[in-house]
Amino acid sequence: MIEFQHVYKTYETHSDENVALEDISLKINEGEFVFVRGHSGAGKSTFLKLMLMEERPDKGRGRIIINGQDLTKLRRGKIPYMRRKLGVVFQDFRLIPTMTVYENVAFAMRVTNISNKVIRNRVPYVLSLVGLEDKMDRLPDELSGGEQQRVAVARALAHGPKVIIADEPTGNIDPELSMDIMQLFEAINKVHITVVVVTHEHELVNNLAARYHNRVITLSHGHIADDTANPEVARRYLANGGQPVPELSYSV
Amino acid sequence: MRFSSFIYLVGQGLHNMRANRLMTFASMGVLTVCMLLIGTAFLLGVNIDYMVDYLGDQNFVVAYLEQGTTEEERAQVEASLGGMAGVGGITYNSPEDVLQEYSGMLSQYTNLESVFANDNPFLANYEVTLTDVGQMEAVVAQLGALPHILRVNAPLAVQQLFLSLQKVITYGSYGLVAVLGLVSMVVINNTIRITVFARRREIGIMKLVGATNGFIRFPFFVEGTASGLLSAVLASGIVCGGYYYLCQWYAEHPTNLTEMFGGELVPLSQVWYLIVGTFVVFGFVLCGIGTATSIRKHLNV
Ligand SMILES: Nc1ncnc2c1ncn2[C@@H]1O[C@H](COP(=O)(O)OP(=O)(O)OP(=O)(O)O)[C@@H](O)[C@H]1O
Ligand SMILES: [Mg+2]
Repeated sequence: MIEFQHVYKTYETHSDENVALEDISLKINEGEFVFVRGHSGAGKSTFLKLMLMEERPDKGRGRIIINGQDLTKLRRGKIPYMRRKLGVVFQDFRLIPTMTVYENVAFAMRVTNISNKVIRNRVPYVLSLVGLEDKMDRLPDELSGGEQQRVAVARALAHGPKVIIADEPTGNIDPELSMDIMQLFEAINKVHITVVVVTHEHELVNNLAARYHNRVITLSHGHIADDTANPEVARRYLANGGQPVPELSYSV
Repeated sequence: MRFSSFIYLVGQGLHNMRANRLMTFASMGVLTVCMLLIGTAFLLGVNIDYMVDYLGDQNFVVAYLEQGTTEEERAQVEASLGGMAGVGGITYNSPEDVLQEYSGMLSQYTNLESVFANDNPFLANYEVTLTDVGQMEAVVAQLGALPHILRVNAPLAVQQLFLSLQKVITYGSYGLVAVLGLVSMVVINNTIRITVFARRREIGIMKLVGATNGFIRFPFFVEGTASGLLSAVLASGIVCGGYYYLCQWYAEHPTNLTEMFGGELVPLSQVWYLIVGTFVVFGFVLCGIGTATSIRKHLNV
């Protein structure tokens, strides 16, 4: 369903080149729940941005395949249709500042050509899932950081995507609510939706991964340092001189 | 596209106009002012052209008949004149008419009519007015070739002057219109660019949640064309209304000078559709295309 084959990502900054991901290969199956963790700057967001085609992998190296489509060969005009199959929670929320909470969520459905009737029913419903049904008419600026983040979560769910990709979806939320949001993702995963969650909250990951048997992928300096679905990965990583990943204490 | 999507996108465009009303006012203001300048330059050109035309039309060619031309021969000449291309009208002056005219002019000094009572030295002539002063030379040549025409008098030098004057004015005023149009395009395009630039983040987000380029562009297009059309209506109203009153005032306040130029301006009924049409097309095309193109580079997300 999601496959990376020897993917590299180098950012060109105005002063130098910055290798964010190096030779990434992995496969995420349909219906899987995957946590991606790693230190700041490890390449987690970059990994998600490649799936969304917000960033392109280095030319001529590797392939990214989602739903059988090779993203490196996807024509420009097809990109929007590919994106609609994903529901994305951005690390920086990316809400449209001029639209109300309701309209932000509804927008993701409108682009998908969902009828007004369905939109009118579904938007309040997904907002109630994140506890924001009473703030539908506010503008994003009139919400706290955590509330904005929850709107972003609601928007990612609204159009019924096959894959949910969330970048630090609980970064601005207190622990109790974080747990609720994560449980929401777990519930969504139960109906066979693939979920990829990036988070640095190790405690939460350990907790949930142990309980729900989620897969955990650890990124370090642009490499996959560990993957609970594939013990071979960590061995190879260490053999290639990688730094050991701290605190791999959970068990699957 | 669903019909409800269409309605949504149109509504979104109109909503954005209101939400960004400062920018909307700014761009509409710029556009309206540009149109006012263009309209003024156009009307100025049209009127000067009209006045020069009028002055040109005051010139006529005089064709003198040979002495002793019989009535039948004269009828032939008159028939050929009537069918001649470029001829607007003819007036026959018999020798008696001419004598009368001159004796009237000199009545204080002498009595020409009695002096020449039996021996009128004046030649009968035709005053030929032209449909187009530009054809004066051709008409003169044709007249000269007719039988029984002794001589043709034409103010060819004056006609040359008028023609070149008219050319200068036409090129000048329409050149001014073109330059103003070009300047407007640059200014308006820039204004739109700024508006779009301020919303590039929003555009990027829309792309990332799966909106197609068309879906994003449509409301901008609605917004652009709506402000373009509104500006056109506004500018048309001001220019046509202002011009209407100017025409009235001009007709009601005649002076020697205005009389010399025909005493009236080009009536509004002859130009209003040109102005409104140009403004509407100008506003629609400029704003519509301007928005569509300036948004393009932000769509590459
Ligand atoms: N637009 C960019 N231009 C240049 N370098 C970038 C850009 N975005 C990210 N990077 C670099 O790529 C590397 C990986 O960044 P990324 O955002 O993927 O990290 P991350 O794991 O998400 O970190 P965090 O937990 O802080 O969000 C970092 O070294 C970062 O500096
Ligand atoms: Mg990140």
